Amino acid sequence: MKRTYILVYLSLIILLGLTTASAYLHLGVFNGVLNIIIAVIKAALIITFFMHVRFARKPTLIFVFAGFVWLSLLVGITMSDYLTRGVILIYGK
Amino acid sequence: MPDNESFQTKHLAEQFTSLEQQRETSELGMWVFLATEVLFFGSLFLALTVYRTMYKDIFTEAARHLNVVIGTANTAILLTSSLTMVMAIQAIKDGKIKQTFNYLIGTAFLGFCFLGLKAVEYREDFAEHLFPGQHFLLGPQAKLFFFLYFFMTALHALHLFVGICVVSVMAYRSKKGNFSKDYFNPIEVTGLYWHFVDIVWVFLFPLLYLAGRNS
Repeated sequence: MKRTYILVYLSLIILLGLTTASAYLHLGVFNGVLNIIIAVIKAALIITFFMHVRFARKPTLIFVFAGFVWLSLLVGITMSDYLTRGVILIYGK
Repeated sequence: MPDNESFQTKHLAEQFTSLEQQRETSELGMWVFLATEVLFFGSLFLALTVYRTMYKDIFTEAARHLNVVIGTANTAILLTSSLTMVMAIQAIKDGKIKQTFNYLIGTAFLGFCFLGLKAVEYREDFAEHLFPGQHFLLGPQAKLFFFLYFFMTALHALHLFVGICVVSVMAYRSKKGNFSKDYFNPIEVTGLYWHFVDIVWVFLFPLLYLAGRNS
């Protein structure tokens, strides 16, 4: 177990190095995308290994997912508005 | 799980039939709370995202004023504190009470280091007139960025402070011998909260500090 934790920790630190270093490269839109992808991987590592979700029972899993599902709805629906303003032509306007 | 009755009556609340059920319930309860926290912080992340898409250039320009060295160091500190937290839980599972205490104190200490560095950083920000108050020097849209920056990091710091208090209480209780390898439920639940606060920072760091570093 301890070995796993240390390996997870080391990968988290490496990912931190990657995300900070990549921020100085010129990747255009992908700077932001890469940052988010790395943050999601880090969060997933913490949730699965440190928060012991891989041993969690089903009711707990439902709540783990519920939070993130509602979050993605919140972000998804709001951004689908803001990002498409001016893109879609509305007659009469 | 030892069956002897004194152990059960000492740790088992009356609404539960077994220690196992009690453990699962408290774990579930913490996740319910964390789900609300996800949405609480999530709405702020959403506000940041919306305004960033609206005022992209000004937001990336404003983000460059933040101290990326302190930000990176603080991320490393928090990730390390998550490791010591999970090690504390492993130690109590193995029945090593002294080690549990040390790891918990280490976790609280790393939390304090984070807050200390954050305070140094805030002092710098204030000196550079980045606080969105009377003496703010940049434009109104940059003000919006710094409002979100201060609000989100302060809210995170508050969560971390609460975490430090709870972890300290757990350290004190483990010193007193309240926990054993058969009963460590409160430490486990505290760990969930601690890791969550860590995850919030994992997202705050790239979104606030890393945007616009390459220009």
